[in-house]
Amino acid sequence: MNLKEVKELIELISEKGLTEFEIERQGFRMRISRYNQPPASAQQVAPPVVALPIPPVVSAPIPAQPIQNSATPEAAPAAPASLESGSAGEAPESSLHIIKSPLVGTFYRSPSPNSDQFVKVGDRVGPETVVCIIEAMKLMNNIQAEVSGEVAKIYVENGQPVEYGQPLFGIRD
Amino acid sequence: MFKKILIANRGEIATRIIWACRELGIRTVAIYSEADRDSLHVRFADEAWCIGPAPSTKSYLNIPMVISAAEIANVDAIHPGYGFLAENAYFAEVCERCNIKFIGPSPECISLMGDKARARATMKAAGVPITPGFEGIVEDERDALRIADEIGYPVIIKASAGGGGRGMRIVRNRNEMLASLPAAQHEAQLAFGNPAVYIEKYIEQARHVEIQVLGDRHGNMVHLGERECSVQRRHQKLIEESPSPALTPEMRRRMGEVAVEACREIGYVNAGTMEFLLDENKNFYFMEMNTRIQVEHPVTEMVTNTDLVREQILIAAGERLEFDQDDIIFSGHSIECRINAENSRTFAPSPGLITAMNIPGGPGVRTDTAAYPGWYVPPHYDSLIAKLIVHHRTRDMAIARMQRALDAMIIEGIDTTVSLQQQILADADFIAGNLSTRFMERFSNPRPAAQGAAE
Repeated sequence: MNLKEVKELIELISEKGLTEFEIERQGFRMRISRYNQPPASAQQVAPPVVALPIPPVVSAPIPAQPIQNSATPEAAPAAPASLESGSAGEAPESSLHIIKSPLVGTFYRSPSPNSDQFVKVGDRVGPETVVCIIEAMKLMNNIQAEVSGEVAKIYVENGQPVEYGQPLFGIRD
Repeated sequence: MFKKILIANRGEIATRIIWACRELGIRTVAIYSEADRDSLHVRFADEAWCIGPAPSTKSYLNIPMVISAAEIANVDAIHPGYGFLAENAYFAEVCERCNIKFIGPSPECISLMGDKARARATMKAAGVPITPGFEGIVEDERDALRIADEIGYPVIIKASAGGGGRGMRIVRNRNEMLASLPAAQHEAQLAFGNPAVYIEKYIEQARHVEIQVLGDRHGNMVHLGERECSVQRRHQKLIEESPSPALTPEMRRRMGEVAVEACREIGYVNAGTMEFLLDENKNFYFMEMNTRIQVEHPVTEMVTNTDLVREQILIAAGERLEFDQDDIIFSGHSIECRINAENSRTFAPSPGLITAMNIPGGPGVRTDTAAYPGWYVPPHYDSLIAKLIVHHRTRDMAIARMQRALDAMIIEGIDTTVSLQQQILADADFIAGNLSTRFMERFSNPRPAAQGAAE
């Protein structure tokens, strides 16, 4: 199954309002499930997330389109937004410094549902710039960039659950 | 019934819990540290979340991260397995407050039994025989000497806040007490963050016999017989079996009754194990209670034809036990050998890549493991990598079965304790059932190469 087919599948699933979908073929298995609405951003529907059980030797993980902005994905669902489990589904550019999640929790782009995002693609950041919040057990944790540079890529969506070590931002020197 | 359970553990017990959930149609969520990314439990769970780096304190013991994962995965319950957070009363409380069912007893029971000195006092008040000893914490050296004189040497100093052999010292006379007391307190402080110790009579040729209990939330409580776990090295069990060669049916009935009544007294729910010491005259004394599923639970499952992890889940979901005491029939004999990633002679840990592996099969053989060929055994966690369990009609037949199963348990690339287990299974005293907690001493001292070797 190629990237185009996966995108089409996700569109179809969103369109039909399915919550869970699983497909298995020779050497390939994919499950897509929608999350419940994240508590703090009531106006956004959580995007469908592709969950791929990662086999021990991963030859070529499906490259995901990095999310360039936080537009609600209903009209044009992004390519596999991220992988639910295991290592990142995409191959971040080796020249970028990757900000990884130091926590398990929910990723938020702004301090509150109605305020501006902390950073957008193209913004310059310094080591102490807060780039996002990860909420864990109802506690909001400000995540700092810890490096200087320009926000080149954002790998996750607002309201998305993230795991420890999951790539969040790609920063270019 | 639960729809989704998060397994707050790793290794073989995590896969064990996944099997029980699968059979009940419950979805499973695995959590793992970066060192366990390629683990079997991660592979087989329906969902998996990385919650931290390798060190346990930053991952499996990291309560906020475990709960955070449980919340984003939207689980109904958490099974804590054994070790890690399984007997952490605070964790059980946090689960409750976050509206996640903790699969185990109440925080109060965990707390009560976790404080060893309090547990002894509670059991004594409930009429359970306890080893002669003073119930309180030792105040100082003078106190220790006075207590030891009252009980009579030899005595053993034990840490109130923990077990597993740490903070323990056997003391045979007054002179030894002066050095041993501060040493034990220091060790207890390091291991458990609490230097409090208490003193008991030390029984020389003791057998460790424990009773498995199960209680539901409707007041039904049963025991599933005993396990003998005397083959231990430094208070770590190596071999367990059921039934105990030392118990008569009458003793089993009495010990079982005592355990069940004590659990009723404290309002115990879910699975638990009451540990006793048997002395040379077959008197039994309460040692401690473990408020969790235990490593060696399979031997009980084999002789009673039950699935204890399944029962834990059902109980936590509010179901009644499907059986009462009369329904529990004991059949045959079961033995379990723990296989550790350690050198059989030196016990040095042996993390590394498993290059080849064969798991024994055939009638009456069960292997609980999360190891597989190509798996890199991480150095960060305990060394248990497999449990080999056999069941047969009699003890002799179970021993023969275990010997041939051990011969077929091949793990290459790392050191394992398979060959040590083979030596134990060939030992004349083991075969005769002459066991005590001092049994393993014969394997600590260098011995002639040909002695006791199984071929």
